[in-house]
Order: sequence, then structure tokens, then C-alpha cells
Amino acid sequence: MSYREKRDYTAVKPYGDTMNDGKVQMSFSLPVPFGDEAREAGKRLALKMGLEEPEVVYAEDLGEDFTFLVIYGRCVHSVNFSSIEVPKVQVHERDMEEIDRLIREKIGRKLVVIGASTGTDAHTVGIDAIMNMKGFAGHYGLERYQMFDAYNLGSQVDNEEFVARAIELNADALLVSQTVTQKDIHVYNLTHLVELLEAEGIRDKVVLVCGGPRISHELAKELGYDAGFGPGSFANHVASFIVDELISRGA
Amino acid sequence: MQLIDIILRGNHRSVSVIGTAKNAGKTVTLNYIIEKAHDRGISLGLTSTGRDGERLDLVTSTRKPPIYAHRGTVIATAQRLLEEEKVSAEIVEVTGMATSLGPVVIARVMSSGYVQLAGPDTNSEMKMIIDRLAEMGCGLILVDGALNRVSSASPSVTDGVIISTGAVVSRDMDKVIDITAHVADLFSLPQVQDGDVLARADEITDRREYALISREGRVDPLEVKTALRCGPYISRQIDEDTAYVVLGGSLPGSALKDIAGAVGDKSKVSLVVRDATRIFIEPMEWQMFIKMGVRVEVVDSINLLAVTVNPYAPQGYYFDPGVFLEKMRETLYPVKVFDVMQGGE
Repeated sequence: MSYREKRDYTAVKPYGDTMNDGKVQMSFSLPVPFGDEAREAGKRLALKMGLEEPEVVYAEDLGEDFTFLVIYGRCVHSVNFSSIEVPKVQVHERDMEEIDRLIREKIGRKLVVIGASTGTDAHTVGIDAIMNMKGFAGHYGLERYQMFDAYNLGSQVDNEEFVARAIELNADALLVSQTVTQKDIHVYNLTHLVELLEAEGIRDKVVLVCGGPRISHELAKELGYDAGFGPGSFANHVASFIVDELISRGA
Repeated sequence: MQLIDIILRGNHRSVSVIGTAKNAGKTVTLNYIIEKAHDRGISLGLTSTGRDGERLDLVTSTRKPPIYAHRGTVIATAQRLLEEEKVSAEIVEVTGMATSLGPVVIARVMSSGYVQLAGPDTNSEMKMIIDRLAEMGCGLILVDGALNRVSSASPSVTDGVIISTGAVVSRDMDKVIDITAHVADLFSLPQVQDGDVLARADEITDRREYALISREGRVDPLEVKTALRCGPYISRQIDEDTAYVVLGGSLPGSALKDIAGAVGDKSKVSLVVRDATRIFIEPMEWQMFIKMGVRVEVVDSINLLAVTVNPYAPQGYYFDPGVFLEKMRETLYPVKVFDVMQGGE
């Protein structure tokens, strides 16, 4: 019998060596001096987290009275996988040539797209993957599309600058990337941008998209964005969404 | 006077509840108004610019209070959220407004129960929804603001506004009060006094244009599409004769700095925006400009009905409820402040 047949999607547990053994590994640092007491503290914390039979399999002195621990344990909880439904952007996925052709036929002009990592975020890996000519993982970025005028403003672009450029360039779509965050600053940065667009009267004129490892389509909706793209999204997903959205708005 | 009396006294068709942060207590305030309005037999309409009524916060995973809707209440929410809840509701209309959770539908609650709200994303769509709910006979329409978003407070969207604030904003009580006072200050900005100027400013901001109005009432259009990054240009156009600088979009702190810097006697020139939701400036900066004598006026003044406070933060700390309420009342006077956890009196 293969593993597949034994699986029960209504009660899924972590898999270690055998089905449903619940084995998990976790690591964390404690602000205590290295030693047996540190190991014991880690073990007790794991017990409080609901792990059974926790074992400290690795401990290291980080210096300055900090200890790094790796712990194995058994998770007793399970989740009902079959009941999970995550809202995703409904994208009719196309490739670059199809998208270019669609824009030419249905819209008849180049689309202006502006992208940036906004606020204090200095990480451009996300926005570069979507916009740069060479693209990412075999998917060319928007700069390579014939029918997109793509402007990548880079990192640490403040929202005022971003909106000013959107107005100046008469943008059709705005892409905001948020990679690193502390204390949910990405959330406030993203809502601030929406408020600024509303105040400038251009919220309805642009397709507003955010993306990043902490962004889900569901969160994007709560923030007032048209779509949110999480990890694993490529330029052609984003481009397909922008084009469909503009066509449905009658651009 | 109770919070509910203030809401009902003004005969407001629509009231938005906005927060100074996530989890500031908007839902508790909303539930309070729902209960009191129900007691008085008012037919309610409910919607949200973000999402509310879910049990766990999407960002912080903290527990949130659910929203209770009575029989007869009309709600505008995403179709999927309606299906998720046990409440029985009759869908009256499926709008063309899309959300990540399906289209926004308008539904009448058939048997009382918990609902989740996720209405339209943009102000223009929200206006349409409010009109629709009013047509369906809702005596009071409550719009729940998302996170810390304030744009639904614009008088072009809702008639009255309640600000929810609380300990979640900061561990420092004074900071919570400062930030709340800042929002309340902006929302209390005066309307342009001069009737002629008001009419001109109304036209200019309605067309989203930019212009100077001179002491004699002459309108000189400014060749800009925004004040963002255009502060230096706008300030160069101001002369001795300028009485008003009318901005059709937002007023960012940077532009205020440029413009105020260009004016010798600050009390001689007023900046005019459509309404206070167009102003983006930090509390400290704003205080500094006000002390310098900078004047900012609005075309549409916001009807700030009250402020509600929540002394408990989901992070686990709390303020002394009595002290918090009292200090907030002192600072915000004459704006009415209520702790709805303690009855909203």
C-alpha cells in the first residue's frame, strides 16, 4: 500500500519517519547562559508549546549569555486539510506573447506600470523578479514585454514620491513590494499608500497590486488593494491580472 | 448623553467608524451602536471598507469580537463571507464590485446572528453601496473602516464619523492621546468662512485642480496635477496678494513645509483642501506649523461625532480605564469621548 492511500486529509500531522508521528524540529535562541540549565529551559518551553517528548538535539553558545537550541518533539495537534480554502487571485494565466497580443488588440496602447519597494524596505528581490528584463526562474520580467512601459523605482521609495511619479507618468498599474517588516510596518505603509491615492483621486484609475512573502490576496483585500501576490508569483501572473482588470474596467 | 443619542440626534444617514490603528476597538464600538440602534427600532445597514467580524486577525492572529446583526439588518459584504457564517440571509442583489472573497452582495438578515463584513474597496464604490442601502430603507448605515484607514470618513462618503482609539496604539498613554488628538484636530478643521471663496474652492477641488485665490477674489490656476513633490513650485507662485492656496488632491507635510516657508506672515494665507482626509502629516510636524500660525481650512468639514476609547491592548497590557478616559476627555474637549466597554455613557 502506498503512503498516498493511507493519508487522511481531515487530520493532518507533521511527518517525520512514519505517518502521523507528528515529528517537528524547531530552533530558537534563549537569552540565558549556555549549559544544562539552558537545555532544560528549552525543553520546558517546548512542553508548554504542546510538544510531547521534547529533546534538545543541539545547543550552541552564542556568547554574551545567549544559547541557541534545536529541539525535536511530537506535535499532538492536527488540522483538517480538506476544509482549507485560501482566497487566491483569479488569474487567467497567459505567457508574454499572448499578453502583448491581448494588449495590442484590446487596449491598443502601451500600459504604464510603476513598481517599487516602498517605505523603509530596502529589499528589491521581489519587485526585481517581476519587473527586470531577465525576470526570474524562466519568466521574463515586465521590462521585456513590448506592450508595457515598466518603471522600476527601486527600493526605499516613499509613498509620496511613488504617487507623484504615478501621476506624472499617468500610470495604469502600480506594483508595491514589501519584503521585510517589523511590528507590521508593512501594513501601515500599504494603507498609507491607498489613502494617498484616494486623496489624490486616482485610486479608481490604477490597478493597485501588492506583493511579498507576507502578502496574501486576502490581506491585500483588507488593505484596499485590487490584488495581492505571495511567494511563487511570476511576471506573467501579475501581467495577466493587470490586463484582465483593465479590460474589464473598459480601459 | 449617551453615544447613541449623539449619533441619532444629528439625523445622520451614514456613519463611519475608523480606527487609529488595527484592533483599536472599532468592532466593539460597532456592536455597541448596533445594539442601541436595535433597542430603538432603527433599521440598520452594515458594511466595511476592509474586513471585519472574523474571529482571528489576519495580520496578528489575535482574537477579535464577532459582529452581531439582528433580523432585518441589511448588510453589504463579500459573498464568500456570507456563506461562511451560520446566519440566514436573503441575497437581494449581487453587485459588480469584486473583492478577493467574491463579489459584494447586498443581503437582508433573516434570523439574527454573527456576520462578517467585507464591502467595497474604494471610496467611489462605497458611496454607491451607501446610496443603495439607503434606498432599501436603512435608517442608519454603519461603515466599518479597515485597519487605520480614514478615507471612508470623507464627508463625500459618510455623514458622520466616530474615531476608535485605544491602548493598542502605544504602551505610552500620552502617545495614544497625542495621536488621537491629532486625528481629532484634523477632523475638526474649520470650513472656509468667506462664501465666495468657498464656492470657488468647491469648484476647484471638485475638478481636482490647483489654484491661488487673491485678496480681491481673483483665481489664478496652478499648472500642477498634484502637490506631492510640487511644494517648491507652488510656493514660488505665491505673492503678497495671495490669500488662499487651493489644493485639489492631498496636502502632504512636505508641501505644507514648502508653502508655509514661502509665506512671511503665516496668518495672511490659508491652505484649502477638500476635506481633512486629504491631509498627511505627522502629529509633531502639524503642531509645529500650527504654532507658527499656519492656517488650513476645508471645503467639506467632517462631522466628528465622538471618540471611543479601549484601554485594553491585545498585546496584553492595559491602562487604568478611568484615568485613560478622563485624560482623553480633557485633551479632546469639546469632542465627546466614550468608553463603550463601560457602557458608552
